[in-house]
Amino acid sequence: MIRFYIALWAAKLSQFLLRLLGRKGTYFAGKLAIKLCPDFIGRIGRPKTLIGVTGTNGKTTVSNMLNDVFASWGIELMNNRYGSNVDAGVASALIESAGICGKCKKDIGVLEIDERSARLIYPYLKPDYLLITNLFRDSMRRNAHPQYIADILTKHIPKESKLILNADDLISSSVAPSNDRCYFGISRLPNEPDARENIVQDVRICPVCAQRLVFDFRRYNHIGKAHCPDCGFSSPTPNYLLDSIDFDGAKMRVKESGETNEYKLTANAVYNIYNSLSVIALLREMGYSSEKIASAFDSLKVVQSRFWEEEINGKPLTVIMAKGLNAVACTRSFDYVSTEPGTKSVVLMLDDVFDEKESSENIAWLYDADFEFLRDPSITQIVTVGVRSLDSKVRLLIAGVDESKIVAVTDEKEAASKVDIEGADKIFLLYELYRYDSAVAVRNQIAQRMKEVL
Amino acid sequence: MVIEYLYPEIANLFGDSANFKYLRQSLPEAEFVETALNDVPAFAQRKVDLIYMGPMSENHQILALTKLRPYRDKLAELIENGTHFLMTGNSFEIFGHYIENDGLKTDGLDILDFHSVTDIGHRYNGFFLGERNGVKITAFNSRFSHSYPDGNCSGFAKVLRGHGINKEHGFEGITKNNFVGTYLLGPLLVLNPLYTKGLLEKLGANTKPAFFEASMDAYKRRLDEFEDKERNLD
Ligand SMILES: [Zn+2]
Repeated sequence: MIRFYIALWAAKLSQFLLRLLGRKGTYFAGKLAIKLCPDFIGRIGRPKTLIGVTGTNGKTTVSNMLNDVFASWGIELMNNRYGSNVDAGVASALIESAGICGKCKKDIGVLEIDERSARLIYPYLKPDYLLITNLFRDSMRRNAHPQYIADILTKHIPKESKLILNADDLISSSVAPSNDRCYFGISRLPNEPDARENIVQDVRICPVCAQRLVFDFRRYNHIGKAHCPDCGFSSPTPNYLLDSIDFDGAKMRVKESGETNEYKLTANAVYNIYNSLSVIALLREMGYSSEKIASAFDSLKVVQSRFWEEEINGKPLTVIMAKGLNAVACTRSFDYVSTEPGTKSVVLMLDDVFDEKESSENIAWLYDADFEFLRDPSITQIVTVGVRSLDSKVRLLIAGVDESKIVAVTDEKEAASKVDIEGADKIFLLYELYRYDSAVAVRNQIAQRMKEVL
Repeated sequence: MVIEYLYPEIANLFGDSANFKYLRQSLPEAEFVETALNDVPAFAQRKVDLIYMGPMSENHQILALTKLRPYRDKLAELIENGTHFLMTGNSFEIFGHYIENDGLKTDGLDILDFHSVTDIGHRYNGFFLGERNGVKITAFNSRFSHSYPDGNCSGFAKVLRGHGINKEHGFEGITKNNFVGTYLLGPLLVLNPLYTKGLLEKLGANTKPAFFEASMDAYKRRLDEFEDKERNLD
């Protein structure tokens, strides 16, 4: 017990000092506390109700949305919004909300939790509700394959946690099968094709009998509705089914246990609409009325998918965050760019920042991403930028892009000068998350040229 | 020429299907067959020139092994006769004596003289630089398992940087006649145009791999990085 208090006070002191220095050292305090007291997370006070948010994509969006909803109700949460989502970040958030005796001063907590940290967090801290957004193929180094992550979750999720799961994702919806659970899902929308073909499709066979699954509808990758023709296995039935979207009126309709409710549409892209829907499902499970949730949604801002568009002398220049090393996220951006109306020139800055200087980059992920979308005839030029520009060029050739459309540039400084400003109706720049600063620099040089040329 | 991809629905974890696609583009005259788990493989019914399989999750690896077990003798005969096999990632482990995972031993096809051990607690990631018949091989590793020769096994490539089939061994992969089993994963053939050129020649195709010049440019740059001692490739 003494150990715990020493850890708590040392961590609190470090938080205080770091704040004096103007640093947001939210990771450090938790790391220190766990070092001094290994089961610190289990000893420190927790809020009465604890919500965990995990999954490959959308954790941050969902956590932020929950914070905004509760804020609109005047409830301040314990959260790790500005911190990290591994054990030390979780500990820091708990320390932040704890009084000097270690009691939590907040009633409700929302923690974004890294999937692989399950082993270090759940033995000590048992969320009452655990929302899993989805599980996709991710970094091969850290995440191996999605079944590996699903197995980690199944092994460590506390049996008392109620799960909020994506019915359209057969990987994440199958974790911890004995836990109490509910599902959310989105029906096929009028403008959606039967099946979008993607290279990454991690659920192709029946988990029961290994027969090839039949997808009644596939939205993208393994997201959709499937059944096994042999043994009767099928995707779970959603308790919260979004069955219609009115994009013009910015409304979505959700069927929930016999009743039908309308909510403001707070995102435009389907993968973000899943996030909004999961928030509704969670709040309904917690007992909040649909009226109360709907009024909170009315005050939410629409989620723009890390997107920045500006028209320069009549021509749009759009910057999109694409997340390098993450084939699924890149594919979403390629798909989006290819279906935009008009002809396009596309600049790709997808190299990993950390690998390029001291190591090299494992480029296998390029072959999981659907560069095939960029073969669309509306794309008239593709400029690949960075040390891996030659690898991206080969990837584009294998995807069927004509060599005459591809320009490979190693030096970022030369990228803007290669962009065909006049030839295309629109210019897109796709950048890897951690390359933001250099992407902005290239973007500004392109903008400058557009001002001169157009 | 017939090229068969075994179990593409599960044996494609890290961009590996690119190997098959690249062969398809390099050999426009050849016939390409994709065999699903519940299909009878083409190699069991007619002459196949090259059989490809890629890495799988641990459960799926055992499933593939179960599906191939009825064809064990046929596969042994094909390896003996010099049919080409390219088994990347953990797929080649199926051909050894056994695969051990968390104390549980699963009998392999018992055709080649080695065994494998999977340790889910420890993932090994790294870059690989090696040499095969004077050709430099550049590739990636990402795996939970290692293999151990039980007798005289020949390797796929001499290790210059990175790990071989296990941490101590100086060779990567297991070969016999024209069977190549290697942990190197991802688009191995695209990453190594010179090796692929040699493979196409051995298959009797007098042609360069698709997009040869562009892939050579990328290969040379990668090779420069992999040979640079200042870089950390572990
Ligand atoms: Zn079945």
